[in-house]
Amino acid sequence: MPKPSGKQSPRTLLPAIYRRAIIDAVVKLDPRQMIRNPVMFVVEAGSALTTLLWLQALSGNGEAPPGFIGAISAWLWFTVLFANFAEALAEGRGKAQAESLRKMRQDTQAKKLYLGYEVAKGREPVISDFLVVSSATLHRSDLFYVKAGDTIPVDGDVIEGIASVNESAITGESAPVIRESGGDRSAVTGGTVVLSDWLIIRASAGAGEGFLDHMISLVEGAKRQKTPNEIALNILLIGLTAIFLVVCVTLWAFSLYSVQAGGSGIPVTITVLVALLVCLAPTTIGGLLSAIGIAGMDRLIRRNVITTSGRAIEAAGDVDVLLLDKTGTITLGNRQAVDLIRVDGTVMLDLADTAQLASLADETPEGRSIVVLVKEKYGLRGRTVGATESGTGMKFVPFSSQTRMSGVDFGDVQIRKGAADAMFRHIETSGNVVSEALRKEVKTISLAGGTPLIVTRNGKAYGVIHLKDIVKGGIKERFIQLRKMGIRTVMITGDNRLTAATIAAEAGVDDFLAEATPESKLNLIREYQTGGRMVAMTGDGTNDAPALAQADVAVAMNTGTQPAREAANMIDLDSNPTKLIEIVEIGKQLLMTRGALTTFSIANDLAKYFVIIPAAFLTTYPALSVLNILGLQNAILSAVIFNALIIVALIPLALHGVTYRPMTAEVALRNNIVVYGVGGIIAPFIGIKVIDMVLVLMGVG
Amino acid sequence: MDPGTIPSIIRNQVKPAVILFFLLTLITGIFYPLFITAIAQLVFPAQANGNLIIHDGKVAGSVLIGQPFTSPGYFWGRPSATSPVPYNAGLSSGSNFAPSNPALSNAVKARVESLHTADPANTLPIPVDLVTASASGLDPDISVASAYYQVHRIAHERNLSEEDVRALITTHIEPRQFLLFGEPRVNVLMLNLALDDMTANHVVPSSAMQPDLTLPDEPGLRIPDWIVLVLFFGFFVVTVVPLGRFMVRVIRGEPHILSPLTVPLEHRLLVWSQVEADEEMDWKTFAITMMVFSLIGIIFLFVLQLAQAALPFNPAGVGSPSWDLALNTAVSFVSNTNWQAYAGETGMSYLTQMMGLCVQNFTSAATGMAVLVGLTYGLSRRSSSTIGNFWVLLIRSVMILLPISIIIALILVSQGTVQTLSGPVTVPLLDPVRDASGALVTTQTIPLGPAASQIAIKQLGVNGGGFFNTNSAHPFENPTPFTNFIEIIAILLIPSALCYSFGRMVGAGRKGVSILVAMTLIFVPLLGFAIWAELGGNPVFDSMGIDQATTDLQPGGNMEGKEVRFGIMSSALFSVVTTSASCGAVNSMHDSFTPLGGLVQLLMMQLGEVVYGGIGSGLYGMLVFVIIAMFIAGLMVGRTPEYLGKKIEPGEMTIATIIILFPIFLILLGSAVAVLVDPGKIAVLNPGPHGFSEILYAFTSASQNNGSAFGGLSANSVFYNLMTAACMFIGRFGIAILTLALAGSFVVKKIVPVGEGTLSDHRPLFIIWLVFVVIIIGVLSFLPALALGPIVEHLMLSGGA
Repeated sequence: MPKPSGKQSPRTLLPAIYRRAIIDAVVKLDPRQMIRNPVMFVVEAGSALTTLLWLQALSGNGEAPPGFIGAISAWLWFTVLFANFAEALAEGRGKAQAESLRKMRQDTQAKKLYLGYEVAKGREPVISDFLVVSSATLHRSDLFYVKAGDTIPVDGDVIEGIASVNESAITGESAPVIRESGGDRSAVTGGTVVLSDWLIIRASAGAGEGFLDHMISLVEGAKRQKTPNEIALNILLIGLTAIFLVVCVTLWAFSLYSVQAGGSGIPVTITVLVALLVCLAPTTIGGLLSAIGIAGMDRLIRRNVITTSGRAIEAAGDVDVLLLDKTGTITLGNRQAVDLIRVDGTVMLDLADTAQLASLADETPEGRSIVVLVKEKYGLRGRTVGATESGTGMKFVPFSSQTRMSGVDFGDVQIRKGAADAMFRHIETSGNVVSEALRKEVKTISLAGGTPLIVTRNGKAYGVIHLKDIVKGGIKERFIQLRKMGIRTVMITGDNRLTAATIAAEAGVDDFLAEATPESKLNLIREYQTGGRMVAMTGDGTNDAPALAQADVAVAMNTGTQPAREAANMIDLDSNPTKLIEIVEIGKQLLMTRGALTTFSIANDLAKYFVIIPAAFLTTYPALSVLNILGLQNAILSAVIFNALIIVALIPLALHGVTYRPMTAEVALRNNIVVYGVGGIIAPFIGIKVIDMVLVLMGVG
Repeated sequence: MDPGTIPSIIRNQVKPAVILFFLLTLITGIFYPLFITAIAQLVFPAQANGNLIIHDGKVAGSVLIGQPFTSPGYFWGRPSATSPVPYNAGLSSGSNFAPSNPALSNAVKARVESLHTADPANTLPIPVDLVTASASGLDPDISVASAYYQVHRIAHERNLSEEDVRALITTHIEPRQFLLFGEPRVNVLMLNLALDDMTANHVVPSSAMQPDLTLPDEPGLRIPDWIVLVLFFGFFVVTVVPLGRFMVRVIRGEPHILSPLTVPLEHRLLVWSQVEADEEMDWKTFAITMMVFSLIGIIFLFVLQLAQAALPFNPAGVGSPSWDLALNTAVSFVSNTNWQAYAGETGMSYLTQMMGLCVQNFTSAATGMAVLVGLTYGLSRRSSSTIGNFWVLLIRSVMILLPISIIIALILVSQGTVQTLSGPVTVPLLDPVRDASGALVTTQTIPLGPAASQIAIKQLGVNGGGFFNTNSAHPFENPTPFTNFIEIIAILLIPSALCYSFGRMVGAGRKGVSILVAMTLIFVPLLGFAIWAELGGNPVFDSMGIDQATTDLQPGGNMEGKEVRFGIMSSALFSVVTTSASCGAVNSMHDSFTPLGGLVQLLMMQLGEVVYGGIGSGLYGMLVFVIIAMFIAGLMVGRTPEYLGKKIEPGEMTIATIIILFPIFLILLGSAVAVLVDPGKIAVLNPGPHGFSEILYAFTSASQNNGSAFGGLSANSVFYNLMTAACMFIGRFGIAILTLALAGSFVVKKIVPVGEGTLSDHRPLFIIWLVFVVIIIGVLSFLPALALGPIVEHLMLSGGA
């Protein structure tokens, strides 16, 4: 299992969780609660029945010795309690987390801006602009103001200001994050704390319906709906239980007949039939089913992913197509300069110097990477911007969407850099000619999937900077694993086809969508879905929202915009685009755990028959003792004890999930059949024999 | 077709149902048997009329029907359990004694005793077939060893030399048919007629005619047995694909080899019944139509039986059955169960056999095939709502069954299966016997009838309801080892090929072949187990000086309730095939099988009749197991489960689960009621655990629509007639309707394309997993009941208790 990337429940909490789970296990005995799990309800009814039989036996006219009935009865109760305990334990983890979340959500003060307040660029509201109200009275689209030290009362979008915010309460990440208006970092979450500066926020959720509230109700498991797959499995388990109920009831009639026909012995006792029923009923999976579901959700939360429904996790297990944003997921966030190419006979050092000057004031990662390249490759030390500026009167020309270039002017020197087509125009308007060599270099870089930036001094081309996307380390291996799991990866990028194809090849994705627009993304998803495929994607921007809404599994970055977060059915608090892969694995692991325990549970029954049948009909048909291949002394009691203890033994498996490694369906099935199918046939023979030996050592039987 | 409300669908469908029922009755119940009769009488007159022996210008009996011999001067045949006299051809019957029944060991002891009394000097071990009752009670043969065993007595009684008697036997040895099929054997009546001739004329047989029978006496399966087994499996390897393809073409209405004949007929039938061939039905319409058609069949067959005494084609003058028996038989044939609570010789007129039973043999099988195609469409159509037209599929299924039936019927007639409209013939007994009251019986009444036409479809349609009481053990129903082989093949012919047809219709033949392989993987070990158990014989006989070894001179093994001409292997094979395929025809008495042989028969049915299973019903039952298997397997690989690209969701799981537990409930609850009430208990013949097995078998067979029985159970009582009728009806139509609902649930779904993560639906792992799921569900449901029946019976028997 991959290591959880987020915080884990602190160790010191565990005993309290156990204590609480034990109490809850007893509380859950309430038949009105038990009926929701029909398999375990049958066990509880059986326990109650044997308890009555035990009381009857105590009064002297029981169907079997009171010690035997009492022991069976006690272990049947344990069976129910163990199953309840597993569920309570799974819920308990969530509850502990919810508790700490709830502490943050305590009623906070909100500085609600008056209706007439006009947002103005850079103007911080003053005391007369707002009214301090309880956060509970805030409604969607109300404007409010927070400053350093305030707790943000509800979820919202920043519409003015920039501030650092501590979001550790939800992400577990202690480093503050920047929140500012516009762009993809505008969403804030209720319950987080502003560390510096101020913000004006438009509430995106009313009190009690915010993100944190949602998270609390989710982790508490109170509103947990059964997923379709869980329902389908439950139906199968109920069906099997019904079969075994009929098997045991009719066995009573068959036993009566056998006593008459065989002319000896006594009919099988009700206690033994109940014990047989409980042993046969799929209690292992029935008892752990809800714990598996809760634990799956919990695993996701511990990886800092919030889902809106359990359904989404299951869907994640089914995904066959992953749409991944190139930037940040497949490549490092930004392109980097990797080379300088001189043209038209310029001297290399002049080019390097010019390129450095052109980028000094460029704070974009690309700009910085140019400075770094020049320093590393040509040994030119970075000049401090301020010093040079004061000395020679440097005037920086920032990038504008009109000119589409940036640079610096000092004296009569004009240095510019920019994209090829813009720079060609610049060169030509400056009265120079764009040389064939320059055009050739630009083309070469483009063909290789890179981005050429042309550097000019006074309108004369000095050379070309080769910017390149850098594919993240290890991502290629990840895609190979995904392919093995049967998942196609599709890279989404705004780049042109050429660039996209190069990176796609380098990263090893199966397909790519170049020059992506919101429409083309949406269409791509629909196309895959029409073909019957399940599509997962991540997104953060508002323009991702339609595609996110369409995708079967949509993960929004927590740093993303509010529309993106609303359109998604999962939110990654770490805002890590590769998280999608982990989500898929958790989804698969959840289903696999269910399947493995179902197989194990059913396979167990074979051994239990061999144990119980000879013992149950010993008086009628002694010949059946040949089937008692284990030579058991306390066959029925041992089987019941095994049946109860196996639930406890498998709680860790239910909570952690079965080991998941990416592999083909065929291999996964084979491994699980061997481990849980064949293992499920063998394990009870060994377990029951050991229990029987212990019982004999203890002097029972 | 506008779906509409249930009453409106019924209103719309009653008219075509009545018309088509009438037309199909005409084709399969009148034209077909009369056509076979005409050809039989023209081409095979001797065989079609009972293979009568003309001796000295007079009818001296039938070659195929044994006669009782009790005088020490005649070769004795096999003990017969018919009543009131042995070899009463008027009502064939086996003893139905279980190996564990003390009555059997007492009877055998008495027979051993009388053999010793008649020939005190003979201390040779007695061949087992000479002291065990045959299945039909009319077995014309004994083993070569049994004939040789009697040489000393005959020579002594007739004042002949042992060499001459031995030579006479040797000239009368009938070797294995085509050197492969069945047992070397001696026809007792023919031998005794020759013996009389020899005694009267002192004609010493020429020893030049002696066949070579000097093979080593190796106990166990012999080389010809192995070759027959290879032929058996090899036959399907050859036929599955071409027949599967042919059926797809017929079902889809594509041109095929018989199109010139079937297409105009199909067209006419549809026009007359006013059905539009291209009108598709949703699952509800499909199901209601099927029910309307089937209920008309039940009512018609019920009334026909009650009225048969007054109707023509009743040369034997049989009366009408009780209402409960008539209802049971009607439900039984319409549900493709063919549970035989009636005795064909004494309870059914020729008219009922032809226009009632024979028709249902066709239409009930065709109904099963139509339901399977409905489910196939449900799984293969993308986002649709309709699953085909019941009428069209029904007619096309009949078009598949009819030509193959004609071929099989003609093969059967050529071998001696009777096919005539004449009444029974009376023949003299060579060695008259006294009945229980001491009256001398000098004649034997041999029943005839249009049997071959019905037996062909009885086997091919996996129906199993016999023309005669002892079904395919009766020498007229299954006269030779070769017909036995043909009848076994006929049972599995369509169920096996349908798997391939299914695969083709859902995209690739291998998807169906994989299911066929899974079925075979369950079938082969159980078959081997049954053969092994039957070869082992009855341990109770070991101390009685009886030879149970299987050699080239005798079949050996557990011969009680088996016919000499089939021997052990072919009887065990037939029994496993018939129980696996929901057929229910028998060539030996299942009640008399060893406990483990009976266990295999019970288990084969209890697995759900999905190992081959009935026409259509076997495969649609298996597909439900496939869905359950794919569900759990899908979970184990971490995908929400799917089969053939269709997601398996709560709706489908609910239906699939109910389909699985339905028959289990019927079997267990039905048996439980029967063992608790007197009408249930008194019907039992055999004591101890075997009696319980008889009841369990009855409800298993009825609920799973098999139709075979542990015949010792007196099932013709109001209690059993009604209980089993209910089980048969629910077991058939409850499942069929649910299967159609499943088809309706799947057909609306999208089809998820196959990817790397898709679980294979045809590779070896899938096959193994499917086998595991089928066995585990079957075993978990029935192991306790089986433990109290055959398992404990075996342990007690082998423990010498």
